[in-house]
Amino acid sequence: MPAGKARQLLTALTGAGVDFVLVGGVAAVLNGAPINTFDVDIVHAPDPENLNRLLPVLKDLEAVFRVQPERRLQPDMTHLTGPRHLNLVTRLGPLDLLGPVGPNLAYADLLQQSRLLNLGDGLTLRVLELDALIQLKEEAGSAKNAAILPILRQTLKEQRKTR
Amino acid sequence: MDIPGEGAHSAPAPEYSEDGVDLSLIRWMLSLTPAERLDILDQHREDILAIRELNASG
Repeated sequence: MPAGKARQLLTALTGAGVDFVLVGGVAAVLNGAPINTFDVDIVHAPDPENLNRLLPVLKDLEAVFRVQPERRLQPDMTHLTGPRHLNLVTRLGPLDLLGPVGPNLAYADLLQQSRLLNLGDGLTLRVLELDALIQLKEEAGSAKNAAILPILRQTLKEQRKTR
Repeated sequence: MDIPGEGAHSAPAPEYSEDGVDLSLIRWMLSLTPAERLDILDQHREDILAIRELNASG
């Protein structure tokens, strides 16, 4: 079976040596939450070396901004160094590059609340822990987050029973 | 007299949390490896997108 697109997308990032923490719905799924999601959300390390590794991957993935995709506006280094979230679409699906999340938590802060997960086929990546993910979604407070929070909280309870 | 649904071969009752979350689904997901969870998510995403495409009215 060919690798799925989210796997290919994550493999492209890790294969290029991009440092990031996976957050959002895909992180929730990898932590065991039975939810569905369409975008891959990451918080990347902001150092220039990492951005120099990230930008070519985005070009290779044909990443463009998801708002007004017909303009085919590609992210560049000035976008990557800014604090804003970048909502992109790539040939492997949507990819969100998030700036600081929650109460101004950046990559360095999230590192401490994440763990390395081995996903097989050479794919190992850093994933935000479920309790930290729940906290972020509680603070974000959107209707979408409110809908999935009960599932995340129950998953955390069940996860703690089995660990 | 046997009560329907109470026999030895009846299906176990579904288990939900107080706020209606299906606990059996969570337990099933937790029984998988992270790699299997990613593969299932990928498969679901692609199935849903394929169905959307098939039903696109243009």
